[in-house]
Amino acid sequence: MALNVKPTRSELIDMKKKIKLSERGYNILKMKRDGLILEFFKVLEDAKKSRGALVEGYDRATKMIAVANTVEGSIRVKGAAMAVKENPQITLKEKNIMGVVVPDIEASSVRKTVTQRGYGVLGSSPVIDDTADAFEELVEAIIEAAEIETTMKRLLDEIESTKRRVNALEFKVIPELKQARDFIKMRLDEMERDELVRLKKIRAKSQAK
Amino acid sequence: MEIAVVGNSEFILGFRLAGIQKTYAADSDESLVEQVNRAMGDKDVGIIVLKGEDMQKLPFRLRTALSESVKPTVIAIGGETGGLSMRERIKRSVGVDLWK
Repeated sequence: MALNVKPTRSELIDMKKKIKLSERGYNILKMKRDGLILEFFKVLEDAKKSRGALVEGYDRATKMIAVANTVEGSIRVKGAAMAVKENPQITLKEKNIMGVVVPDIEASSVRKTVTQRGYGVLGSSPVIDDTADAFEELVEAIIEAAEIETTMKRLLDEIESTKRRVNALEFKVIPELKQARDFIKMRLDEMERDELVRLKKIRAKSQAK
Repeated sequence: MEIAVVGNSEFILGFRLAGIQKTYAADSDESLVEQVNRAMGDKDVGIIVLKGEDMQKLPFRLRTALSESVKPTVIAIGGETGGLSMRERIKRSVGVDLWK
């Protein structure tokens, strides 16, 4: 720890430089941490909304499919489901928030018209169409929630690690450096006082002669 | 990339109606774990959809791996259980319970 330090003047100068550097780094990291938390609050609002939309969408969709099963019979519903061929695709791109890489998801062929779905006019009914609609909406909500929740996770990870570095600097690195610097100063002062006393003694001796 | 859904056949049916092809039917707890691992291993899967109750049935380590996973992203849907894991993480990282 600090006891390995040699109490020399050049060491003192080095210590002072290191302390200055660490304090600067500490201030910058604190700003980063605060900025990340601000960004996080923004995302949190969106996340709450998207979760709400998910819950709503899911409730709606499950009700509709229950209705469809009752009205049309589960075999027709299954038949229609098996016939749908248009698969929703997602493309992942990256966005940068305060230095953190977060996903930017784009979806295609989620919402479809009745003809696009592929189960044919004969194979379905308005109830089934509405159910498919409800589920398509749900899928859209899921994709958005996925993007937002992943963004939150990445931001949280970065906040956690930045917080740890800030705390490490504040409670370990900088105090230890300051301790070392104070130790050196104390030793140097001691050595100076020893010198003075020695000089005085020698002068006294030479005058006594 | 595609969306995958894992769950019992009832749960999956609606998503097939929306066009999702990668559906993994799992009617028992063991097959649930199996299918979830299969979906995680599939390179073309970007998002996995699970029912909240099914998430609770998974072994703890798998559940943590799923919550941490970014590719693919795992979404638990349906009822209270879905949003709670987010809440726990936020409490842990930021230190304050910010959810509602």
